Amino acid sequence: MKAASSASPRTGRPGIAWAIPGVLYFVFFAGVPLVMVFYLSFTDWDGLANPHWVGGENWSKLWDDQRMRDAIWLSVLLTVLSWAVQTPLALLLGVWAAGKQRNRAVLSAIFFLPLLASSVALGLLWKTIFDSNLGLMAQISDWFNLDNADPLGSESGALWVIVFVSAWQWVPFHTLIYQGGARQIPRSFYDAASIDGAGTVRQFFTITLPQLRNTIVTSSVLMVVGALTYFDTVLIITRGGPGDATTIVPYLMYKEGFDSFNLGYASAVAVALVVVATAVSLLMVRLTGFSRMRSTREGM
Amino acid sequence: MTQTTTDQAGRPTLATSGHGHAAPKAPRRRGRFSWHRVNYAAGAGAFLWLVIVVVPLYILVASTVQSRADYLDKGPISLPSDPNLDSYQNVLEGDFPRYLLNTVIVTVACAAIAVVLSVMVAYSVVRTRSRLSRGIFQAFLLGLAIPAQAVIIPVFWIITKLQLYDTLLAIILPTAAFSLPVSVLILVGTMRDIEEELYESMALDGASPARMLLQLAVPMSRAGISTVAVFSALTAWNGFLFPLILTQSPENRVLTLGLYDFVGEFRVDIPSLLAAVVLSMLPIFTAYLFARRQLINGLMGVGGR
Amino acid sequence: MRSLIPLGRRRRIRTPLVAVAASLLAASTLAGCGSSGPGGGKDTLEVWVYQDGSTTIQEDFVEQFNESSDIDVDLVQIPGANYQDRMRTAMGSSNAPDIFFNWGGGSISDFVDDDLLVDLTDTVQSDPELKDAFIPSILDAGAVDGHYYGIPMRGVQPVILFYNKTIFEEAGLSAPETWDDFENAVDTLLAEDITPIALGGLDSWTEQMWLEYLLDRIGGPEVFDRIRNGDSSAWGDPAVLRAAQEIKDLVDKDAFGNFQSLSQTDDGVSTFFAQGNAAMHLMGSWEFANQNTNQPDFAQNDLAWTTFPAFPDGAGDPTDVVGNPTNYWSINSQVTGDKLDAAIEFLKVSASQEYAEALAANGDVPVTSNATDLLDQSPAPEFAHFAYDLADQAPSFTLSWDQALVTARATPTLDAISKLFAGQLSPEEFVDTLQNEG
Repeated sequence: MKAASSASPRTGRPGIAWAIPGVLYFVFFAGVPLVMVFYLSFTDWDGLANPHWVGGENWSKLWDDQRMRDAIWLSVLLTVLSWAVQTPLALLLGVWAAGKQRNRAVLSAIFFLPLLASSVALGLLWKTIFDSNLGLMAQISDWFNLDNADPLGSESGALWVIVFVSAWQWVPFHTLIYQGGARQIPRSFYDAASIDGAGTVRQFFTITLPQLRNTIVTSSVLMVVGALTYFDTVLIITRGGPGDATTIVPYLMYKEGFDSFNLGYASAVAVALVVVATAVSLLMVRLTGFSRMRSTREGM
Repeated sequence: MTQTTTDQAGRPTLATSGHGHAAPKAPRRRGRFSWHRVNYAAGAGAFLWLVIVVVPLYILVASTVQSRADYLDKGPISLPSDPNLDSYQNVLEGDFPRYLLNTVIVTVACAAIAVVLSVMVAYSVVRTRSRLSRGIFQAFLLGLAIPAQAVIIPVFWIITKLQLYDTLLAIILPTAAFSLPVSVLILVGTMRDIEEELYESMALDGASPARMLLQLAVPMSRAGISTVAVFSALTAWNGFLFPLILTQSPENRVLTLGLYDFVGEFRVDIPSLLAAVVLSMLPIFTAYLFARRQLINGLMGVGGR
Repeated sequence: MRSLIPLGRRRRIRTPLVAVAASLLAASTLAGCGSSGPGGGKDTLEVWVYQDGSTTIQEDFVEQFNESSDIDVDLVQIPGANYQDRMRTAMGSSNAPDIFFNWGGGSISDFVDDDLLVDLTDTVQSDPELKDAFIPSILDAGAVDGHYYGIPMRGVQPVILFYNKTIFEEAGLSAPETWDDFENAVDTLLAEDITPIALGGLDSWTEQMWLEYLLDRIGGPEVFDRIRNGDSSAWGDPAVLRAAQEIKDLVDKDAFGNFQSLSQTDDGVSTFFAQGNAAMHLMGSWEFANQNTNQPDFAQNDLAWTTFPAFPDGAGDPTDVVGNPTNYWSINSQVTGDKLDAAIEFLKVSASQEYAEALAANGDVPVTSNATDLLDQSPAPEFAHFAYDLADQAPSFTLSWDQALVTARATPTLDAISKLFAGQLSPEEFVDTLQNEG
């Protein structure tokens, strides 16, 4: 510390050296792995011996791999469905929760609860509930004397379960974002509209929705990037099944890497995941004008 | 991709809270949001969502106070006929306390690393004259886009080469690294708000950069630091992928991996399994009761991952 | 002022670096407290075992072993569906187990290729007491290329067709002897609104058991022998297609009910079966001990067992068996010197009379040569004799496919099976997929 005081007495500005530990640390555990995963995608590696170079073999295999195409398609589908389910819910709940009444505060606190648990804990809870033999589904079916409903047994059912469970987990988070956004809409807008005789619904569409434009963008970007990497939920509830009906890209990578131990090939899948995730977020940022916003405060 | 971007001058900004300090406050009058009062449909919708949220939580808790046989007999939603806490006892007598301790160690260590490093990086980025600062900041921005899943294979390789496989450090090191980008962004945002005059007056007293950090920047960024601490702690607490790949033995199991393994251990003893789920949520739930604002701010960071 | 910066930089670097070093050090100390247990301390052997109902036996014997040995054994129990994945991951790491539970065959052949295992051939050959303790075919089943890498440590595990005799009686059925009987039983049960077969679709290795038996009964054990020896084109044998078609028929009929969300590894299927929701359950012999522990009423009153039905015009002998001969202990080649001696001593424990008795008392069927004498000590001698004779008299004992094949082939095979059951692959596509990947 004494050393530093001699550096620039007038302003006492820190040098860039202060950033170096953090940068090195991050580079070592994130930057280097990112480069390495690219390198490993050109190797054959079984996790036991050392990786050896095989050139573009993994990549040509990946290009022809129907499972990869299916996984990308499923990831996109899951992302779109998640967005389509979560956005309206979070938007409406957020706008509603922005109100000041006391009961809303209490309810908001309860709505928030799912966000406190890990995906693993929630996955186990929902797996139990959706169990076609011992779960809620079985019990409800019993009440009505129906054949046991088995949402996890069908391909589309299992995908919807993942969509539902992740919505249950993440809607509270996005509700908070929308709540923050809605609270910043000046009240005078609504007063003016009321004087013009606009009803609740019209006010929602003419004032609330346009005013929340940036919030919607912020929330959507987070949602899409998040949905591309759902993994815990899939591993715990469906293990990618039935068949490969919920084998999304991260799960395919996990299976290839730590079940088949084709770690070189799995690395190629991982690189593809990085490319897709980055491309999607850049695309969204570009298309929606997210980057032109002065700050996300504007979007909150 | 968090709630962060750069403003027109290329300076990063970040909102650390969903509301409160951004747009000019609307003039306050009674009956704000008059249109809400008549909105029964929205109220009904909110009630419906309440049911969707509460019923699973009810099932969660109600299942845990049943016996295994009762649960298998009657199913998850029935009222427990003979409520008891045996399943909790069962869980607590097993390895759960060890998993909890491991998780606490991992969580505290991750939060400590993330706070110390990100404070230093943010301080340097905000205050330095070096032209590199912008580049460093952009690098962390880009770092946000790296999904932890995508680099798990090389991380596994590195951890193995460091001889750290199946240790708590194997979880701590990468987990803390992956919470750095969000942490740096949050703190850069907070530290930008500290007024230049304050630094200048300290400089007149001949304060060193280190003293300014400890006596000015850190105290003035308390909100941001607590957000970073909560965010990185939650990331560590709930993290699953790194523990799954990088640890194995019960000595080094954290709660998330422990829960996952309870499936194979408790099997159809659903009450015990769910009791473990409840117990794993309890610490965060308690924190939520006592420090709601900080927790929410931290969580807003989690979503950024 | 700029000129001052380089001057200060060199010294300034220290403050932050020291701070970080200190915090990392603190973190590693913290981490250290948690990791003191295993990880290859000098005087302990880390032993990994798949955690299930039989693990208590290993616990007891480890405790006994530690009392007399200078080098302690630390038993690490790994539960859940992915023991093999995790064991394999660990074997590629710096903290690999010293001794580990495995299934022999393909499940360890990758390790053998990379010289990660201790070759026990000389140990076994030079110690008649050890060699003769086990049924020779079981000891040999764990060998790779004629070398022993594993010592049997559990009971024999043939796959058996369990059924609920109460349901069968009520439906006027008897144990199916032929595939026609079996199909008739399925149809009858379906008409009575009972799920004919319990199956854990989340674990594709349980689906695999159906194909293993069907392929054996239809085409004989030679078809899979060819596949195992590296001839992927043998998947093109008409018997494979026929077996897949039988599966498709059963799935289409709903013979397996809601199987996709059930799991064997969490006992979901066993509970489902024990609750009387399903009439049959094809599972390894361990299922008996499992039911006997968890649902004793069911095990005593309703549970019955039989061999897999014969195929009318099939090439396979109806007394052929599929399954796991047993599980084995293998030793990591990193273990040397005194530790290796202790490890070998530990492996010899499972050849002992006491160990075999403990297995028998747990409901397992020991694989020691004198097992027949012990079977009467089983909690269910009738079942123990059945399982023993089944394995003993089988003209062919096919190792479970996923254990017989190397990892790189086993996973695509399981995937294809899972897709066949899910209706995502037609029988023809199933054959094509396996010829290309399995």
